[in-house]
Amino acid sequence: MKHYLKNLILGPISLIQGLIVTFKNLVSRAITLQYPTQKQPMTPAFRGLVDLRPDKCIMCYQCVKICPTGCLAIRHEESPEKKKSLVTFEYNMELCCFCGLCEQVCPTIAVYMNKIYEIAVYSRKELHINLLSTDKYAQWANPTVK
Amino acid sequence: MEVNVISNDRDLYSEEFSINMGPQHPSTHGVLYLDLRLNGETVIDCVTHIGYLHRSMEKIAENRTYTQFIPFTDRLDYVASMNNNLCYVLAVEKLMNMEVSDRAKYIRVIIAELNRVASHLIAIGTFAQDLGAFATPLFYCFREREKIIEIFDEICGNRLTYNYMRIGGVQSDLPKGIDERIKYFIKYMRSKVDDYEALLTNNIIFLARAKNIGILSKDAAVSYSITGPNLRASGIKWDLRKDEPYLVYDKFKFDVPTGENGDAWDRYKVRIEELRQSLNIVEQAIAGIPEGPVTVKPGRIYKPPAGEAYLRTENPRGELGFYIVSDGSACPYRLKIRAPSFSNLAVLSELVKGVKVADVVSILGSLDILMGEIDR
Amino acid sequence: MLTMMITGAVVLGFISFSSMFLIWWERKVSAHIQTRFGPMRVGWHGVLQPIADAVKLLLKEDIVPCSVDKRVWWLAPFFVVVPSVMAFVSIPFGKNLIAKDLNVGILYIIAVTSVGILGIFMAGWGSNNKYSLLGGMRSAAQIISYEIPLILSIVTVVMFSGSLSMQKIVEAQAKCWFIFKPCLAVAFLVYIISATAEVNRTPFDIPEAESELVAGFHTEYSGMKFAMFFIAEYTNMFIISAIATTLFLGGWRGPLLPPVLWFLIKTYGIIFVLMWVRWTFPRVRVDQLMGLAWKVLTPIAFVNLALAGWLLLK
Repeated sequence: MKHYLKNLILGPISLIQGLIVTFKNLVSRAITLQYPTQKQPMTPAFRGLVDLRPDKCIMCYQCVKICPTGCLAIRHEESPEKKKSLVTFEYNMELCCFCGLCEQVCPTIAVYMNKIYEIAVYSRKELHINLLSTDKYAQWANPTVK
Repeated sequence: MEVNVISNDRDLYSEEFSINMGPQHPSTHGVLYLDLRLNGETVIDCVTHIGYLHRSMEKIAENRTYTQFIPFTDRLDYVASMNNNLCYVLAVEKLMNMEVSDRAKYIRVIIAELNRVASHLIAIGTFAQDLGAFATPLFYCFREREKIIEIFDEICGNRLTYNYMRIGGVQSDLPKGIDERIKYFIKYMRSKVDDYEALLTNNIIFLARAKNIGILSKDAAVSYSITGPNLRASGIKWDLRKDEPYLVYDKFKFDVPTGENGDAWDRYKVRIEELRQSLNIVEQAIAGIPEGPVTVKPGRIYKPPAGEAYLRTENPRGELGFYIVSDGSACPYRLKIRAPSFSNLAVLSELVKGVKVADVVSILGSLDILMGEIDR
Repeated sequence: MLTMMITGAVVLGFISFSSMFLIWWERKVSAHIQTRFGPMRVGWHGVLQPIADAVKLLLKEDIVPCSVDKRVWWLAPFFVVVPSVMAFVSIPFGKNLIAKDLNVGILYIIAVTSVGILGIFMAGWGSNNKYSLLGGMRSAAQIISYEIPLILSIVTVVMFSGSLSMQKIVEAQAKCWFIFKPCLAVAFLVYIISATAEVNRTPFDIPEAESELVAGFHTEYSGMKFAMFFIAEYTNMFIISAIATTLFLGGWRGPLLPPVLWFLIKTYGIIFVLMWVRWTFPRVRVDQLMGLAWKVLTPIAFVNLALAGWLLLK
């Protein structure tokens, strides 16, 4: 009987405490952003898609060896004067797990990760990207960086 | 179709009634298939089927070098990735007898404890959602978790699967100004935890749904090898950070909260108290962090000497263990992962005998399992 | 005859407009409680969102599963919507704004809304689906149990006002609203809790418990039939708030503004409190629900009734 009456008093008090918390949140300002008109800037360290500066690449194949899923593929050729040049540098975005190991292992910072994160495509072929072409990421917007 | 008859009286013939809480369901945490057999509203038996998320991680590990496997460990317990990275990296360092600098140890402790806070926030939020407080505590918990994720975004660049720990150190040093942000976050989080307690802990409806539900006795907990907050809620005070300290946990002062009965309410309360203790640890670590080298550039192929090593750490969900057997080459010979949620889930079929259907959801939510760990 | 048809049209128009407003209002209130914005795109701050929802539901394909009990399943939405609309006959919107001031007003409303339970049960049974059956049976048990404290609290009010007719109850509150009298404050709390359980709102929304039974008794309905259940829920909410306003908060009485406006402000205020409660508390389990009705609310309502009778006799 005492338990019954104690619950009868304490119950509504606990319910009102919960209601006060919710009311405080009701009257405070909402924190969400109206995407896509308002977007959040990316941090400087953000890992987006893999990108390449072709003039800095020394074709050491470190990035290919360290990638856990094997999404990078390079072919190079040597001219008779022992000068190497890149033939293809292919990036398979389907396999990439965005771990950033290729960016950290590259000795000349030729491979880096840009800040693009809005990557929706209509066909799987668009996910196999040739990093040597000039308009590789033209269809995706470059977000602002903090 | 065979039916199990419960009572064969001529006046009150009744059969068993079987319900599938199938792989896709709003409240099994991930892809879990529960085959419940009911008598009206009471559960008679529950058969658990797992394996819907199996990705054969342990076999993949036999073909990857030690550094290449770190992104895979992120995807085990994807809510608390840093802790998984940490356990694996510590196991490899034990195999190679490697020492890390003090600053790296402090950074690892700070990051691991912040990730523990984030993981417990999800546990609390989804538990409240399963009980029917539809979405409101969950949104509050995710709002706080977003702040932690933004801190991690500044430190390492990803939001969910971090790949931050390296063998011998971490990926990169903490950026400038991050300790102000962490201190501000600790202050902000302490006031919000009081909010959650006011909203849920003494609420009479929450008490009616969670008190004396799914009571796990001490003997059952030990015999099923339950670890983590579930074990501590049953009354056994066992925390790997205090009993077998790794990194620099022996330098910090913090409590290990325990419960009394082992019911769902105790498990929830233990997680809230652990949240507060983790904030205390982060505060002490930020204040005392020394200088030193931390960055390890990837690219070196590690070849540990032939042998084996087992290392266990305290994950937010329990005790995570990595058992690595090496034969001297660049890839491990065998890698075995001891996942905490696997043992925690095994006790479900015993706990649900005799409860109502609504309580099955409550017990499952309070055990706080994650299918990524169970299926690997 | 013409006035009857005009009254009918006005009431139906008001019901649809009110349901659409409530759909928008619920989404906005729930969003701001969860510190987000809610509908923002369709019209200014999402005001035209209910129209978008209505158009979408009208355009949806009406899926009839092959193994349902055809007549029962098809009739269920009507048995849920029609009683709610019929109860609008004697709700006093203003001083002379009442469709027909029956002299058994409140008894008529209670009798008519109790038929709605038939619709829910028919939906649960006719769907030929384990989850819907569980939802329908739980709902039937819940609504029948909570009728008793509801009626007892209303009887307390009737004792004080001396008549069952709605307008006379409002006129009996000329000096002081009924909620400020001690016995009737307790009756108000009992009424609000029972009424929340009658319309299946959280914390008593077990028939539609999403985390256990996917969607309960209206799992198999799509398109316009689902819209009927939806509209019926909001209309029921409006009716119980209107009854609470009339019986306890003084109906359309108020100092400056026209009476209709006062009535609407008070009714929507109570609906706001119902929504606020919905988005804060967890759900009550089925047997605890029954325990609450029979062991807590009914004794309190009886004791309150006896106390009120003794106070009146003094």
